[in-house]
Amino acid sequence: MKKNLGILAVIAVVFIVTAIGGDGFLSAFNLYNLVERISLYAIIGIGVSFVIVTGGIDLSIGSFIGLCAVTFPFLVIGHNVSLTTGLLLLLTMSVCAGLFHGLLVTKLDLQPFVVTLCTLMMYRGVARHLVSDSTMGYSDERFQPLSLMVGRLSELPWFEGQAWARHVPVALLIMIVIGVLAAVFLNRTIYGRDLMALGRNREAAHLSGINTTKMIILAYVLCSVTSGFGALLFALDVVSVQPSTFGSFYELYAIAAAVLGGCSLRGGEGSIFGVILGAALMRLLMNSIQMLGVSDALEEFVIGFVILLGVIIDVIVKRVVAKRRARQQATVAAGAE
Amino acid sequence: MLKLKLTRLVALMMAVSLVTFAGCSDDSSDKPSVAYVTNGVASFWVIAEKGALDGAKEFDADVKVIMPKDVEDQKRKCEDLLARGTDGIAISPIDSANQAQLLKQISELTTLITHDSDAPDSDRLCYIGMDNYTAGRMCGALVKEALPEGGEIMIFVGRLGQENARLRRQGVIDELMDRSHDSSRYDEPGTSINEGGKYTVLDTRTDGFDFAKAKAQAQDAISKYPNLKGMVGLFAYNPPKILDAVREANKLEQIQVIGFDEEAETLQGIQDGEVYGTVVQNPYRYGFESVRVLSALARGDKSVIPEDGFLDIPARQIRKDNVDEFRAELDRLTSTAPAADSGDEEGSDEATEADAAAVSETDSQ
Repeated sequence: MKKNLGILAVIAVVFIVTAIGGDGFLSAFNLYNLVERISLYAIIGIGVSFVIVTGGIDLSIGSFIGLCAVTFPFLVIGHNVSLTTGLLLLLTMSVCAGLFHGLLVTKLDLQPFVVTLCTLMMYRGVARHLVSDSTMGYSDERFQPLSLMVGRLSELPWFEGQAWARHVPVALLIMIVIGVLAAVFLNRTIYGRDLMALGRNREAAHLSGINTTKMIILAYVLCSVTSGFGALLFALDVVSVQPSTFGSFYELYAIAAAVLGGCSLRGGEGSIFGVILGAALMRLLMNSIQMLGVSDALEEFVIGFVILLGVIIDVIVKRVVAKRRARQQATVAAGAE
Repeated sequence: MLKLKLTRLVALMMAVSLVTFAGCSDDSSDKPSVAYVTNGVASFWVIAEKGALDGAKEFDADVKVIMPKDVEDQKRKCEDLLARGTDGIAISPIDSANQAQLLKQISELTTLITHDSDAPDSDRLCYIGMDNYTAGRMCGALVKEALPEGGEIMIFVGRLGQENARLRRQGVIDELMDRSHDSSRYDEPGTSINEGGKYTVLDTRTDGFDFAKAKAQAQDAISKYPNLKGMVGLFAYNPPKILDAVREANKLEQIQVIGFDEEAETLQGIQDGEVYGTVVQNPYRYGFESVRVLSALARGDKSVIPEDGFLDIPARQIRKDNVDEFRAELDRLTSTAPAADSGDEEGSDEATEADAAAVSETDSQ
């Protein structure tokens, strides 16, 4: 919590300013949309943070999302595969992609940047070729049961008829579940500890008996599986999937969310709560820009600028805290003498 | 203590910067506030934006022009518009068939009209634009004129998922194959089409609005098909990219370029005899008319909607014989246009000229 004070402050300020200056920002309709977007982007951010804590990176997320989003209707609509089989195939595909990345990174010792940069292009090509560039849709009735995942909480049987549930996206619930699982995994299990440890110092982790190869592969698999699932959510939400563009830049949004949330690209550091805040800040900003009526063309600038600001604040706050602690310890030590 | 100060300082900075941005937006008043949503970022849409802004002045409305990057962006920005509250949205849907939900949401919460690309199954009150299939056939006719002996043709377009792109392409193909007038036909891309006539349509390439890729695809097609006779670009930026590629390959003698829209380079190409012709639509009037219709509807005037829900803004063919006239018309009007810029930078010329073209048509109708 303390670690994320800087970004929380930025979120609060942007929120308050938009609430004052933007028409309709606080409407139930807008907040619902905003929370849903944050949830979707946070999910892929959580996925990539597994890889980032090991000191790796996955640049292929965006085009992998494109590939999954295209493949699923290709199977279900194009080839009459049942929904369950389709989902299983999607899962298999995600696991395979993760294994592929992980094996190349560990066994051949290739740089993660290079591996995933190449697969970024490969997945995009496969996605486009598979359906010869035609647009895929998720408006078919067969996807109806899955569409619940991007619907309102009140559409689920457990929350039926409850007024508040109409204003809560199911995606939020999914994100919280994934977030809690991920946080428990990273902070409370031996595997998560190992992952962090090897991110800090792979050599030392290896020498202390951690199977670093297995753990790194696991991180890539978790990342791809989360992306694959995220792909499904994005596609169900947007409904129309263009193979050539769907998902592009999502890897950068995911990585930015993770970094904003305190993950170090050098590895060994990261908090799931922070990643969620990172995703929240970015989506909030995009929404604020629209609500405040800022010129559309300035969008990218504002986002880049505020993210940079957030990271700078974060570093400064951390330094100040560290200095204070050092001083305190010094006085305590002096007092003890 | 210091931390608190820092946080405060940062908060202040943020507040100041955001309030400055917020200050840029217009104050709300009794004026109708409408939105004009395009399907991408392109100079074509910059012309439409001018039309929309002029329309806003003319009809005393506020207009927000939004140029989304892709289909997801289009959805998000429309939702944001709805949340902010608007008196009407004119949209060029990227994938009308699958965007049914979004279009329904818009039509339920505010007034919905379409422009440039239609969504006939939605509750849109009207469609402002040209008949893309007919325009496609007009373009096909230009190809026939340029290549009376027949030959191999390639088609280039930004995206095929869009209704307008699909119809234009089909119009070109149907005209070349001498088929009957039927806009519901669809030839899958990826296979070469020849029905025994003089013309073969080899394939269609899509670039997803990536201009560099548009040029690369044109170059690749020239390398791949040595007997290529005609290259057709269906979106505004395609013909200039094709022309670049043909010029660099030194194949101006062999390959005829035929295009869509009034990009400055395309018109210059026609004047220089490097481009055979182009079919121009009228983005300026798409913007202008969209704002006219939406602001009238916001004031409760339903008479602006045509009976069949189709406000036709017809296309016309530009060839070497009328390009001078077309450009002269532009030049004459450029000087009177408020945003006219005497700078000789290509980009600004492009916009103002095409803008003026649009104005001229508005005047003539």
